[in-house]
Amino acid sequence: MFHNVDPPSCGSHALGINHKLRFSPKLVTRYFTQNLIRPFQIYRSASSDPYVNLSIEHHLLQSSPPDSTILFLYTNRPSIVIGRNQNPWLEVNLRLLRDGLPTSESQDKKQPIALVRRRSGGGTVFHDKGNTNYSVICPPAVFDRDRHAEMVARALRKLGVPHRTCGSRPGGGVRVNERHDIVVDILSPSGGMFKISGSAYKLTRTRALHHGTCLLSSPNLGSVSALLRSPAEGFIKARGVESVRSPIRNVNVGTEEFVDAVVDEFCDMYGVEDGGKEVLVIREEEALATEGINKGVRELTDPEWIFGQTPLFTFSTHPTEDDPRDRPPSLLAQLPHDFQGRITVRHGEIQSVYLSLSDDPFNMTDPSPLSQVLAKERLHHISDWRAVLSKAVSEAPLSDAFDVEQVGMWLNRMFGIPEPVEGQKERSLSEEVVRAIQESKLGMWLSK
Amino acid sequence: MASIARSLRLARLSAVSATIRAPAYRAVFIRPFSVTASNAIRKYTKEHEWIDISADKKTGVVGISEYAAKTLGDIVYVELPEEGLEVQAGDAIGAVESVKSAADIYSPVACKITQVNLLLEEKPGTVNQVPEDDSHGGGWIAKVQLTEQGLKDFEALMDADAYAEFTAAESDH
Repeated sequence: MFHNVDPPSCGSHALGINHKLRFSPKLVTRYFTQNLIRPFQIYRSASSDPYVNLSIEHHLLQSSPPDSTILFLYTNRPSIVIGRNQNPWLEVNLRLLRDGLPTSESQDKKQPIALVRRRSGGGTVFHDKGNTNYSVICPPAVFDRDRHAEMVARALRKLGVPHRTCGSRPGGGVRVNERHDIVVDILSPSGGMFKISGSAYKLTRTRALHHGTCLLSSPNLGSVSALLRSPAEGFIKARGVESVRSPIRNVNVGTEEFVDAVVDEFCDMYGVEDGGKEVLVIREEEALATEGINKGVRELTDPEWIFGQTPLFTFSTHPTEDDPRDRPPSLLAQLPHDFQGRITVRHGEIQSVYLSLSDDPFNMTDPSPLSQVLAKERLHHISDWRAVLSKAVSEAPLSDAFDVEQVGMWLNRMFGIPEPVEGQKERSLSEEVVRAIQESKLGMWLSK
Repeated sequence: MASIARSLRLARLSAVSATIRAPAYRAVFIRPFSVTASNAIRKYTKEHEWIDISADKKTGVVGISEYAAKTLGDIVYVELPEEGLEVQAGDAIGAVESVKSAADIYSPVACKITQVNLLLEEKPGTVNQVPEDDSHGGGWIAKVQLTEQGLKDFEALMDADAYAEFTAAESDH
């Protein structure tokens, strides 16, 4: 396979994952071979790990018979999930992500947030325990982008949404909009259209997958907007897919009642009799003991997938022909006067770097001396731009020396590299992701 | 390409199949600016890829069909294979994203990827505009070198008439 679609399996040994997990085959096969032959199958994951749940889903997509239809429901711990062809430096405030979410227990204790790149298309979404995801895998012949969003919208209506969402204010109803998302309309003057569920799809030769979020009762909605706003937004011109920002809202429905209502609606839609209405619960240890799922987890947790799959992008401190926007003056003010810079990155790998105090660095000789030194460095492997620039400048002296310390700190901020702490080793984004996974429950499972 | 054509029930699907049945569709193959079209043989897969092979049957150009490109809707990103990649028929050699959907592209034959269309990285919409154009500026995905097996795979694919019939049947589905 090629590098930017399926992540290499080699990178994950850094996670300390033991790929040869010992498992009892009978547990596994009971779920995935006996049940997989049924025409309609309903699964619920007991895991709250986003990498595990997306890998169970991918395994169902790849292993189920072409004519079967599958409903899979899962709830993740706090995560930011970017689309297959998105840019984490553009979509996510990586420093805030690393800080985690506040907990009700104490100010100091924070809940970690996982950074995930999924295999389907579409934009960035936030997940936590107050958000439940539905996924329908079906034959391409019956697939339609709205079909299963409508199914979930019907379930929500039966649960009393939008009334429960809007309280005493007049609700205009639950509907699937032109972006195939589920929204509620609130008709009061302070109301408007609120997104409660976002859709994304993955199409293979024989199967079609539609999955969507549903915000039921997230306690973290106040944090989402800042988490999904990168400091580098005003400087990055990216290929691939940019998210469309929407105001969001909880529908105020419990997880269990949502799951039951969606299962009922799925069974009604496909004429599944009560006898066949069986929801199989998949436990994390069973999932991880299934080879296809274990492989999927290894791929999704590989930093080369999370960061290295990023489509070509250019970071530029000044307007260019390709990206003529005015740059944020407050951020530019933190740079030396007359400083200009442009960095091009393809699949996480630096292609060119122009940093200069001259009026027009973009007409400098090509490749620039810095490009010659820094090309092929991986952006997510950089742990401190100050060190990178000092080294590069010593190898390729610049005619117009700028303050490497000041520019380095600024680039660290823009690219979400953790603020260096005195006496601690700096960590790159790649190392941060690996550490976060190792410290999660998944890391403990995988290192067993 | 995935079975997307079958899968996406767009209102304009009937219009698409009408275009395909119309004789004007043939014009795609005799475009004067298509460098290899005059002496190339083009065949199609059920997954909606096309492949042209050169007169000496050693090299080819791969892309996704006009029918698939129309059915997918606005393509916003094309994931290209890596040059040098060796694949069997049916292996994924990339993916396209349109309307929140990631859809795989499959190799029509056993081959080695020798060149990818980097233009698509900057201008993915080219695949919507000229999906079956194998010239410079066209929406082709990759240039390939056929293996012996690749040539056998090629022989088994549909020619333009068979593919037009196949897509017509699919959209009547």
